[in-house]
Amino acid sequence: MNYLYLDTTSSFLYAGIVRDDSLLAEKKEYLGKDLSTKALSFIAEMMASVHLKPNDIDKIILVNGPGSFTGCRIGITIAKVYAWTLNIPITVISSLEAMALIDDEYDYHVPVIDARRDYVYAGIYDLENNPILKNQYIKKSVLETAVENMSDCYVYITNDDIVLNGDVKKYDPNILMIVSKFRDKECVNPHSIDADYLKLTEAEEKLNGSIS
Amino acid sequence: MKDIYILGIESSCDETSCSIVKNGREELATVISSQIDIHKNYGGVVPEIASRQHVKNITMVIEECLEQAKMKMTDIDAIAVTYGPGLIGSLLIGLEAAKTLAYIYDKPLVPVHHIAGHIYANNLVKEMHFPLLSLVISGGHTELVYMRDHLNFEKLGGTLDDAVGECYDKVARVVGIPYPGGPQIDKLAHIGKVNYKLPSPLNDDSYNFSFSGLKSAVINLNHNEEQKGHSLNKEDLAASFQKVVVDTLCKRVEKAISEKEIKYFVTAGGVAANSDIRSALAQICDENHIEYSFPSIKYCTDNAAMIASAGYYYYINGRTATLDINAQSSVDLY
Repeated sequence: MNYLYLDTTSSFLYAGIVRDDSLLAEKKEYLGKDLSTKALSFIAEMMASVHLKPNDIDKIILVNGPGSFTGCRIGITIAKVYAWTLNIPITVISSLEAMALIDDEYDYHVPVIDARRDYVYAGIYDLENNPILKNQYIKKSVLETAVENMSDCYVYITNDDIVLNGDVKKYDPNILMIVSKFRDKECVNPHSIDADYLKLTEAEEKLNGSIS
Repeated sequence: MKDIYILGIESSCDETSCSIVKNGREELATVISSQIDIHKNYGGVVPEIASRQHVKNITMVIEECLEQAKMKMTDIDAIAVTYGPGLIGSLLIGLEAAKTLAYIYDKPLVPVHHIAGHIYANNLVKEMHFPLLSLVISGGHTELVYMRDHLNFEKLGGTLDDAVGECYDKVARVVGIPYPGGPQIDKLAHIGKVNYKLPSPLNDDSYNFSFSGLKSAVINLNHNEEQKGHSLNKEDLAASFQKVVVDTLCKRVEKAISEKEIKYFVTAGGVAANSDIRSALAQICDENHIEYSFPSIKYCTDNAAMIASAGYYYYINGRTATLDINAQSSVDLY
């Protein structure tokens, strides 16, 4: 079984190909504003490097957010078109769920993505990657208080330039570990795949009256 | 000669569309998923919401198009896609989908300029011949384009501020007509009389347009009437406003006809559906013995059939792109 892993929810492209229990190839590139131009070229390059054609993939594991709105949409569009047109099974996981999956000694993993204006996207996970605090759009200070009240043994995981009260680890995904963990997750219809933004657009919030 | 099938994708604003066109002229299937009902709630297109909707719709639209045409991706010769101008977040969805299909099926990727697409909507109605003058009028564009041959675009002039369709929508909003107000203004204009005096925009000798002054004049007129405790007669305002718009557009078209060799005239874009604009332009063409065509109403607004039609000519001219092409919110027509 060949698994294609794809995460473009941040300024980085994280892509990998796992065959059974080994990592065949991976791309971890900071692309920033070049994500839209380079993501697919890098995926094609990675596939070619291990002599795989698009239809050699047996399952796609897609990270569908939260994170950069545009970043999420780029990876999702690539993956849902890929899965739909070649009829390849596809499953989606959260960026925070993937970020929480690190190998260390802390009791709690707190993946954090900067959502600007003192807000973050975050969740709290235990050592088995079970969510203790569900993924949400939350004020940074509120998250920090919640984490501090829960345990002394926690670590924040982030790729963003944000100041957090506690130990912070830079996110560097172990693609083999993530794929191994989620490869049996239930598949979804590619047409139904959407980004998990965790936040309405400003226009929707204004219309709903949640901001003035 | 072998038939060439182009699959076109368009997502530059708030319509997700896919179409398959044979040999640049024969539309086999077109699917358009419009978001207009969503954006109505906000009084206009909200870019972030538009992008979010495109992601939801894109694969369903392509699948339905292939089903309607009874074709598979392997039957397609090339994939044409709008790469600009337009809303960047919206453009990216169609472009990324097109790139992915091009990669998976190893098909040529053909980037198409949105305005070229609007012009080529006419090619689906009647074969275009040259030299040709095109008036592109929509919510995002107002341009006068001269073509000596296929894909040979010379922009004679364009709007210096608001697009004509944008001006229609804003005037409609002033008098309380919900978005999109353009078609409603056209209807009201046929009921009302030209009783309000509005300024003629940009009275110079160029090919350019300007609609912000006209828009401000309507806003000021409404404000003044309100201060007097009166309300504007919507029908008369619509008639007065539309008269100025028609005269402004016709003046530039007549200037081009008098100065250029023109055998064929086309108009394009959402505002090309306007009945008064169509009849005035038809009259000018008749008087000057110039053949013309107007796209049918379904081809006036954004659609992928026009992209596939233009894409055919780009494709046979070898104008393809690699997977690293980017979307561009603003880009010259070439």
